[in-house]
Amino acid sequence: MNEYEQLEAELRSLKPLPPGEAFSSKLEKALGSAGNLAVRRLPDAEDSADFLPSVPPESNPLSFTRLFFYTGCVGAGLAAVWALFFYLSNGLIAPSYVIEAEQPLFTDQFSAQVDLPVDDPESPVHGVTLGQLQDTSPMPVMGWSDPQNRERFLRLVDEGIFQRPSGVPARRVRHYYMDETLWSHPASDMRILSTSPREEVIFIELDTY
Amino acid sequence: MKHDNMNTEPIWKSWFARHGAKLLLFARQQSRRPDEAEDLLQEAFVRIWRLYGHTGEVAPGLVYRAIRRLAIDWARSIDRRQARENRVALDNPLSLSFDRTLEQDERKQALLRAVDRLPHAQKEVVTLKIWGELTFDEISQTLDESLNTVASRYRYALQKLRDFVPEEMSDKTSASTVEE
Repeated sequence: MNEYEQLEAELRSLKPLPPGEAFSSKLEKALGSAGNLAVRRLPDAEDSADFLPSVPPESNPLSFTRLFFYTGCVGAGLAAVWALFFYLSNGLIAPSYVIEAEQPLFTDQFSAQVDLPVDDPESPVHGVTLGQLQDTSPMPVMGWSDPQNRERFLRLVDEGIFQRPSGVPARRVRHYYMDETLWSHPASDMRILSTSPREEVIFIELDTY
Repeated sequence: MKHDNMNTEPIWKSWFARHGAKLLLFARQQSRRPDEAEDLLQEAFVRIWRLYGHTGEVAPGLVYRAIRRLAIDWARSIDRRQARENRVALDNPLSLSFDRTLEQDERKQALLRAVDRLPHAQKEVVTLKIWGELTFDEISQTLDESLNTVASRYRYALQKLRDFVPEEMSDKTSASTVEE
């Protein structure tokens, strides 16, 4: 320890006088209701005793019955592991390997059966053409009016103050919205409503006072 | 219900029990008059707690910064008042803010007198670093000074203290010899 470190240690050993009781009560008065914004719960002495499980002195947690139960559980577990090992090692996996190895992975028949989806840029559903959609769906394809977009404000949550990395405190406010898009088809009086939630986080820089 | 049996305590009480002494020391160091320190601390703490107290935890650096800014504001108004009333501010030695049982320890007394001799800028850095337990980064934010400035002030302060303490101890010894 060099002389500066010793000096620092000596300075730290000096303890400043704490504020008196009178000052604390003055502070409480000055804070008013702001002092009670954040509180913590203090369990009573009797209450904390109630939370503790009541264990009679003669009952031992590792009593014979409990020990017997635990031993039984361990035994059952070991038996299950042994049965699983026996099941796996008795030819249930090996033959299946042989069968799979004999089969080719891809065949011409398989590739012939695959019906690749057709991409129609006009269709709203991927892999289905506009014509297929019109044939199979009762939904009209043409005649839809322009979609109406609406932003619905749901709620605001003030998440309080936090210290930014720059050291400047900021208040974090979160806005919750629901974005709605409404498609309507006047001829059939059909409407489709799509909703998607969205949230915005706003930081409001604060001065220290 | 279990919760009905539980008491509640405002969080600021435990917070203040942890940081109150350090903050009061800094307020004493910043204030121009000894009787002003508690008012300064009260004003700064109440302002900060009203703003951020609902979160349950407030960074002590915010209160240190508020104390300093308030002290500057109050000093300006005091200066104006003194100019009118032609009064001089009372001396406010920092050594009065420590435990009086130290009087029996000559070395510690000399150390405190040496701290009192430091220039104001160095004294506030020492106060925040040693007793406020702030990092240099936090001190630079509290004092609105660069990190290098703060670190240099601290280094100079320690060098001065190293020189002042033997001086203070020898002065005390010679004074007591003269009294005898």
